[in-house]
Amino acid sequence: MNQFKRMAYPYVAWIAVMILAPMLMIVMYAFIEKGNDVTTFRFTISNFTKFFSDKVYIDVLYRSLYVAILTTIICLLIGYPTAYIISRAKPKHRTWLVLMITFPTWINMLVRTYAWLGILQDNGIVNTILGLFGIGTVKIIYTNFAVILGMVYNFVPFMILQIYSSLEKMDKSYIEAASDLGANKYQCFWRITFPMSLPGVISGITLVFLPAVSSFFIPKLLGGGQYVLIGNVIETQFLTAGNWSFGSAISLIMAIIIMISLYITRKLDTDPAAAKGGA
Amino acid sequence: MKKILPIALSALLLMTGCSGGGKTATEDPIEKYGSDKLKLFTWGEYLGENVISNFEKEYGVDVIVEYFDSNEMMYTKLQAGDAYDVIVPSDYMIQRLISEGSLQELDKSLIPNMDNLTDGVKNLAFDPDNTYSVPYFWGSVGIVYNKNNVPKDLIEEKGFEILRDTDYAGDIYMYDSERDSFMVALKALGYSMNTTDDAEIEEAYQWLLDLNSTMNPAYVTDEVIDNMMNGTKDIAVVYSGDATVILDENEDMDFFMPSEGTNIWCDSMCIPTNAENPLLAHEFINYILTYDASYDNSITVGYASTNDEVLNEIAENEYAENAAYLPRDGYDKDEVFEDNETMRQKLSQLWLKVKAQ
Amino acid sequence: MKEKKKIGSKIFMALMMIFFYAPIVYIIIFSFNSSRSLTHLDGFSLRWYEKMFSDRTMMQSIVYTIVIAVLATIISTIVGTITSIGLSKSKPILKKTVEQINNLPIMNPEIVTAIGLLMFFSALGAKKGFVTLLLAHIMFCIPYVMLSVMPKLRSLDANLADAAMDLGATPFQALTKVIVPQIMPGIVSGALIAFTMSFDDFIISYFVTGNGVSNISILVYTMSKRVNPSINALSTLVIFIITVALIIVNVIPIIKQKKEKRTR
Repeated sequence: MNQFKRMAYPYVAWIAVMILAPMLMIVMYAFIEKGNDVTTFRFTISNFTKFFSDKVYIDVLYRSLYVAILTTIICLLIGYPTAYIISRAKPKHRTWLVLMITFPTWINMLVRTYAWLGILQDNGIVNTILGLFGIGTVKIIYTNFAVILGMVYNFVPFMILQIYSSLEKMDKSYIEAASDLGANKYQCFWRITFPMSLPGVISGITLVFLPAVSSFFIPKLLGGGQYVLIGNVIETQFLTAGNWSFGSAISLIMAIIIMISLYITRKLDTDPAAAKGGA
Repeated sequence: MKKILPIALSALLLMTGCSGGGKTATEDPIEKYGSDKLKLFTWGEYLGENVISNFEKEYGVDVIVEYFDSNEMMYTKLQAGDAYDVIVPSDYMIQRLISEGSLQELDKSLIPNMDNLTDGVKNLAFDPDNTYSVPYFWGSVGIVYNKNNVPKDLIEEKGFEILRDTDYAGDIYMYDSERDSFMVALKALGYSMNTTDDAEIEEAYQWLLDLNSTMNPAYVTDEVIDNMMNGTKDIAVVYSGDATVILDENEDMDFFMPSEGTNIWCDSMCIPTNAENPLLAHEFINYILTYDASYDNSITVGYASTNDEVLNEIAENEYAENAAYLPRDGYDKDEVFEDNETMRQKLSQLWLKVKAQ
Repeated sequence: MKEKKKIGSKIFMALMMIFFYAPIVYIIIFSFNSSRSLTHLDGFSLRWYEKMFSDRTMMQSIVYTIVIAVLATIISTIVGTITSIGLSKSKPILKKTVEQINNLPIMNPEIVTAIGLLMFFSALGAKKGFVTLLLAHIMFCIPYVMLSVMPKLRSLDANLADAAMDLGATPFQALTKVIVPQIMPGIVSGALIAFTMSFDDFIISYFVTGNGVSNISILVYTMSKRVNPSINALSTLVIFIITVALIIVNVIPIIKQKKEKRTR
């Protein structure tokens, strides 16, 4: 078994260079005075205090977390049943279904979001159809609903893929054994299937929540410029305001918040594993 | 089977690469300019249909074009050291680049076509003698409104204040840019858009807050063009070049520049100090100012040409009925943006507060 | 009871498919729109396709996007899988550290990763172009692969590999014949996600590329000024290419089978 662990070493060297080094530069920027010039290094925490001293930034952060959490929950609610149904389908159908779910994600995200803009617009497809039934213009675009719709649309395939891969190669004999021993369908699912799919659920949540928190394009397009999320603020700092220091500081703050929430989520995962280890 | 892939790939690349070749120049570009490659960094969709291919054919060179969609994105890439031969920033960005020493002085003897420039773009504050830049497109910022729903005399009377007229609440588009929105507010209040006076800026901030809470505006950027073409809302703050396109496609729309004055902007061609091929860059700039190239640019994109002949030609023919094409020239209340670091930061933060309410 | 459940599932799946494909259908339909409008169909026309095919930059960007995505996916899937297997046998502290570091590119707003890489490459004096673009893509794809593969490894029965080796298999055989087949769903979904992330990437690509190398996303983003319907034509073309590729990939094994049947 020992020889296997050596396989990890090349990658460890890689990430030290490709992931850590750029991150360190960002960290450095967070702690220096605004000036875009690393040579005039002057350590300061002013970027961080600036963030916490103004209520508007906290509001924006709250809204970003709210959107991300809501998106993740809805992705889970829609994604799990979808993944479950696919895993129960006939084997030859399964591959096709997975492909059909993934296929739209290969079309550029911008283009797909613009498509939703066209569909949900005040004089767009949905409203045109509603008009045929005599219903007046329904304002969908520039609302919370439009933003969450766009976000869920973008991220739910990842959730589905993760949960599905967990469910697919699951040993069905456990379930057979349980129902032989008298468990009904409900108990089979909640006590056996769901816990065994938990690693997939956790990584699905990770894959949705993390990018959702920092996304800005979809909310900007479907929610309008007034829908400001932390991703917009960071982007503005880096590009428009040219304040890389402040932008880096905000990114670090966000990173810490996310790491904490991930840590809590991981705790949920270790418990079932411990129980399984005992079995 | 394995061999097919690389062959197919190279065939594909060759096919796509070949459509622009066809060099028929009489002089050897490498001898004349030192290199046969030009790196152009410009706005997306800012070139006429045949401008690049004609230049390549005439001079026997290859033009590599990269695009940006904001001055700040361009600036970020320049800061990282990327070398381009010709860039096309906006007025305030040019001012900034000059002050940082990032642009080279132009050798005007290589750009005789500068004589073609129209008066409206000469002597602009950010580069009065065109030492560093040669204007490419120019225009103003104004209001596009639906003639059928908004009476013309109402707009003429109110100017930018129409954006706070509650009769049109929920029916306006504001541009999602702090510079442009603060410009509108400051002009409506009668102040200079380049002011550094805290009291004036505070007033403008309150003006925008009021607009945000009473008018329920939609903050958009380029989606405004398609939306106004479809008449989704009645009033919008739009760049004149975009307005030209909107008016062209939708007869119900008209364009208005307020009497309080507005922003006159200008995008110009510059040569960075680290350009690898400055001689060819000068040649390209000179070429853009020719009648054919300028006409192609202006007609395709819809923005006002800086070539005097072309400007007048199009204003009198193609866009004779289009109120948005010809920028207002010489109106003393119209201003050009000045670049100010502190203001940039301040406005950016205030703008965030306006939107996030 | 079972009948009800089956119909319920079918309806649910049908709704999901409508949800997933509504924008796709919209894109295809509007790519043939004769006017510039994105909300009104004014007639059938191929003008956006003409515009697209005559644009050299557009065609080149399609090629670059596909090449980068395929290369990045292959490399990151292989490296990611190998590393995941290695980590599953390593000390927990190493595993946790790598997982945390891997989260960084996924968690950071893309602009942050983009600027970080920009500064990094500039500090090294690297000339930006195809190579830097590929390196960046590999960098952010591998964490997604690992995120997909690691959970499968956790649910794996560790004893099987040991048992195989006790019965005389070499480590390599244990790897390829026992471990890999069991984690295959994780590898496949990891590869799919990696491909998507690479194919669709904009902001990181924008800042690390140069020398005229651009991809579809960069082009779409910088061209969306006049909401150019050519992007719908471009996307429809991409849809077409992928569909054809998928059909080929699925049809070839069937043809092969039929050939084998005949030669028997």
